[in-house]
Amino acid sequence: MATDGFAVPQEKDMPPKTAQIPATDSPAVIAARRVRKTFGDGRVLALEDASFDIRPGEFITMVGPSGCGKSTLLRIVAGLIDHSGGDMTVHGSAVTGPRNDVAMMFQKPTLLAWRTAVENVLLPTELAGAVTKADREKALSLLELVGLKDFAFSFPSQLSGGMQQRVALARLLQTGADILLLDEPFGALDEFTREHLNVELMRIVAEVNATAMFVTHNIGEAIFLADRVFVMTPRPGRLARIIDVPFARPRKPELQLTPEFNALVAEARAVLGGLE
Amino acid sequence: MSASDQIDLPKGMAGGASTRRILFNHLAILVCWVGLWEIGSRAGVIDPLFFPRPSDILVGFWRLYITQGNIWFHLGLTMAEVVAGFVAGSALGIGLAFVVGLSDTVRRFLKPYVVVIEATPRIAIGPIVIAAFGFGWTSKIVIVMLVCFFAPFVNTLNGIINVDRDQLDMFRSMRATRVQTFRKLILPEATPEIMAGLRLAMASALGGALVAEFIASNNGVGKLISTYTGNLNMASAFVCVLTLSAVGFFILRGMEWIDRWLVFWTDRKRTEAVGRKRAQRWQKGGKL
Repeated sequence: MATDGFAVPQEKDMPPKTAQIPATDSPAVIAARRVRKTFGDGRVLALEDASFDIRPGEFITMVGPSGCGKSTLLRIVAGLIDHSGGDMTVHGSAVTGPRNDVAMMFQKPTLLAWRTAVENVLLPTELAGAVTKADREKALSLLELVGLKDFAFSFPSQLSGGMQQRVALARLLQTGADILLLDEPFGALDEFTREHLNVELMRIVAEVNATAMFVTHNIGEAIFLADRVFVMTPRPGRLARIIDVPFARPRKPELQLTPEFNALVAEARAVLGGLE
Repeated sequence: MSASDQIDLPKGMAGGASTRRILFNHLAILVCWVGLWEIGSRAGVIDPLFFPRPSDILVGFWRLYITQGNIWFHLGLTMAEVVAGFVAGSALGIGLAFVVGLSDTVRRFLKPYVVVIEATPRIAIGPIVIAAFGFGWTSKIVIVMLVCFFAPFVNTLNGIINVDRDQLDMFRSMRATRVQTFRKLILPEATPEIMAGLRLAMASALGGALVAEFIASNNGVGKLISTYTGNLNMASAFVCVLTLSAVGFFILRGMEWIDRWLVFWTDRKRTEAVGRKRAQRWQKGGKL
């Protein structure tokens, strides 16, 4: 996507939209106020002050090239890294570390090779305490939800890359967290598998009433999945623009062929334009 | 993945008529080989002084194992040294690797020493160890320990350090405790490498004990070999060597067996079998 042919003026210097007003009365489930991150004793700015509110059940995607701070922002929300300034709250309480109501999924499946699919799914339950019969049934039903009913006792080495990520998705849901952070979860898969899994992901996230933050470097994917797209630019990492995606759900892949869809792609490209 | 896979007969043939034919061919070749040796020796082509006749070796087996029965004691002693040295050395190596691997500070501090030890042929310390611990079995155990320490140490350390960052983050995001992360992630993740280290150590343990016995000893198979060779009793020396071949073979096979049992997920067939077993256990509601 280096040369895009969209001759839109650069809007890099536009101030970021801050503190979006929630469309519903429900309070923000994730709220960021001037959240920033520096590395190396403050010498390297990885993420410039970012402010936003995320409503319950919203599907947020973050798109931008490497170094735009999208993964950094996700890891701050996950509590895996500290932020250097500003306030980050989840469900009204400040994020100080990993928490029960937030779960994360990575680009690699990160499955344990010596555990069967269902044993992998049960890992979060096991780490939290004893595994009950109900937990086991939940794990099996989650495997069914991600379409792996018949592979519960397969080991990761016996599954394809796409199936491994499905197991990882089931494990993510097994945590019971209502905030799902997805760091390019299907980025290592082929185009067809990825599109298929994206559609399923939307269905599943809606089914379990979760709020999702999804990192990608693919603009089309970002718009297709999102209620709102956080467009981020690098050096320093900055939340440059928030794009509302008004399309009704459930969405079909054909949506990506419509002019409305492509207008949003063009808008995102305009923000990112000249970077590539 | 293991060396044995290459010598294993094709799996599909196991138990079939072709297996028997292959086995027969192998035996036939062996018999020819030994027969040629015997004939060559009797015809004066091979000097029986250094390469004893198969028939003499066979008689030697009878003598050493039955009539004199003296090899049992020496073999037992050598094996005791090997096992004790292996257990102590590899336990020390693995234990120290865990301490070092889980602490960056200790790792940085120990790095130069590790580099120096790695470059030093362990057996070179042999005479010094014998001077310090005497001619008895203690010095042999210490030497085997030294030989067995390094491979498990390095492999364990690599196994710990190479645990995937995302997996560590995954455990952290699930709020796993340090002990949980170690038991459920780091230890199993490092097990294949640890086992590879143990196999390397085991392979050199026997050699270490023998060299130690060659250097200075009153007992042990190594001492037996050097004594017999000194007396030009080559048939008996060969009996000792062939005995060690057999012992080494069974030790390595045993290690491979443990490896496959423990690290089942790198072997396709084993993975399938374990998967079936776990499915059954699940159905019965058993513990995972």
